[in-house]
Amino acid sequence: MRTSATKRILFFLLMLCIAVPVLFPFLWMLSSSFKTQVDIVAWPPRIIFSPIIDNYIRVFAEQNFLRYFKNSLIVGLCAVGFSLLLGLPAAYSIARFKQKKLSVFILVARLMPGISFLMPWYIIFSRLRLMDSYVALILSHMLIALPIVVWIMSSYFESIPLEMEESAMVDGATRQKAFLSIILPIATPGIVTSITLSFIFSWNNFMFSQVLSMEKTKTLPIAVYNFVSYAEVDWGAVMAAAVAIMTPAIILTMIFQKYVVKGLTMGAVKG
Amino acid sequence: MKSKLITLLLLAALVFGAGAQAKEIRVLVANHPYGDLLKQYIPEYEKATGVKVNVESLQESQLTTKLTTEFATNSSSADVFMTRPLQEGKMFYKNGWYEPLTSYDFSDYPESAMGVARFGNKPYLVPLVTEWQVLYYRKDLFKKAGLSVPRTFAELEAAAKALDSTDISGFASRGKGAAAVTQLSSYVYNYGGKYLDKGVAVFDSKEALDAIRFYGKLLALYGPTGVTSMSWENIMPLFQAGKVAMWTDASVFFGQIVDPAKSQVTAADVGIANLPAGPKASNPFFVVSWGMAVARQSKNKAQAMDFIKWATSADLAKKALGGASIPMSRNSAWADPAVVAKANPELVASQAFAAKNGNPFDRPYMSAVGNARDLIGEVIIESINTAGTSQKLADLAKQKVKQVNELLEDTGEYGMY
Repeated sequence: MRTSATKRILFFLLMLCIAVPVLFPFLWMLSSSFKTQVDIVAWPPRIIFSPIIDNYIRVFAEQNFLRYFKNSLIVGLCAVGFSLLLGLPAAYSIARFKQKKLSVFILVARLMPGISFLMPWYIIFSRLRLMDSYVALILSHMLIALPIVVWIMSSYFESIPLEMEESAMVDGATRQKAFLSIILPIATPGIVTSITLSFIFSWNNFMFSQVLSMEKTKTLPIAVYNFVSYAEVDWGAVMAAAVAIMTPAIILTMIFQKYVVKGLTMGAVKG
Repeated sequence: MKSKLITLLLLAALVFGAGAQAKEIRVLVANHPYGDLLKQYIPEYEKATGVKVNVESLQESQLTTKLTTEFATNSSSADVFMTRPLQEGKMFYKNGWYEPLTSYDFSDYPESAMGVARFGNKPYLVPLVTEWQVLYYRKDLFKKAGLSVPRTFAELEAAAKALDSTDISGFASRGKGAAAVTQLSSYVYNYGGKYLDKGVAVFDSKEALDAIRFYGKLLALYGPTGVTSMSWENIMPLFQAGKVAMWTDASVFFGQIVDPAKSQVTAADVGIANLPAGPKASNPFFVVSWGMAVARQSKNKAQAMDFIKWATSADLAKKALGGASIPMSRNSAWADPAVVAKANPELVASQAFAAKNGNPFDRPYMSAVGNARDLIGEVIIESINTAGTSQKLADLAKQKVKQVNELLEDTGEYGMY
């Protein structure tokens, strides 16, 4: 009885040790987003303050952040969607036909620093008059999403016993049919994992949007800089914008968390 | 067949006709009070001229990245843009990204400002906003300690020592390597030194080293904790929280430290004075922080020229200085008593002093300025870490001078000026 109580206390302390450093910046951000500029820079920091919502008003009313939300959402969802369309069959093929070279090739594309793609992309997209278009942004963000989908899913597909589709094919299904109606439903946790991860990476991407987007298709991470001007930073609004940007990602992660963990470990063990 | 041809011709005429009439220009401005002011008045310009102005506003480093990518790939659609002459001017000019502004009337600009606008004998950019180094100080703390505003570096050190306490730093200035280079520059000038002399790095001279040692000593003894990682973003909040007695930095921050919505210190307690004189001189930097230029790659140069003349006009300059306290480059703005009356008299006085005695550069003026700032920054950090007493400082500076000279040679700027 005693030991279990001590254990629980120790466990709690350990949790605290991890949670505090992880949550501290987040809490600081959250509290700052409700503070005036004076309270934000006050030293020592003010734990008790009278909260204001002016920062959020500046973010949503004056800067119209909903427009940037829409842009990020369109780009993220389309990039992930098209990546699934191309990536799932590719991953299946890599898993079943042992196309290791292909998978390494895709990984290399991901490992190359993104900035090395930017110049050629800029030339191509501007010649095609696709600057400041969703097409250019979606295509560029597929560079982020597609490798994630392929890598998570190919090891996931490998972990699914071959017998599953073989028995379907014995019963007269084509390989395509077996893939669509047997393999994909089994692979749902893996698919959810890759959707979540690739969407978050696309959501947070700064570099591609910085160069390829202009006023019309500006995405959220770029828009935060609307509050950073020459020799002046509007910290309250930056914090409020950061909270607003993080919220959807956090909600998404919370909903799909158990899939993510499961999907990742499935791939990791069997990969 | 014939009717088809006619339709085609008509269509072509329509397209080309529309092309000629579609008066539209793309303007890139920085997230800067002057950019905000322009955006406010652009509808008036559009109404008067019938030209549609597409404005994009970007944070300054994003602006540079964007312009660089667009120009380097030779596929820019930018017509007019805001630019930082000291940070990117030389590189942009050397790459041929600025259109020469031969038809612009520059007679209203101070000669020191024209020094960075001109390359060879042609002007390439219009000076827009200036800034100069000042000393911000707490009037209440000075009064309590019975001190007067320091006029020399010796007095500055004495005041820093007297005002320093456990709770309040006596003195603050940027300590974060590369960021500190601009603020150190006036100290170097006042000691009689320079970063570059006739296209050769000389910041290992005795004068420059004395300045670097003095700067390091002041910050180490009387500066805030952790000053070697502090730029203006970190020091301004400390000043606003009342934790700093004296702060030397660019004049651009004055508005924010007297704004009751941003500062805990009462505006009446904040003073602004000339940077104290050094042993050899009193030449604080007085620089053009922002300019405006027409893109060489612009396809609408006539409209672009017309726009830049309007956007940098004396009329707008007066509105900016009088209404938004933006320190404009144009002489006529500062000569207009009705405009100046709205500004803080101490700020106006420090502008007059700096405009007369100032040095037009606050950093090594070269293409690879970023790299050079990193190198000089290392010397500054070494000096702060040892309170200016480092034995290695002279050798370190010599080594960095060599590296900066190599940078100058790489771009063919060594010995050129």
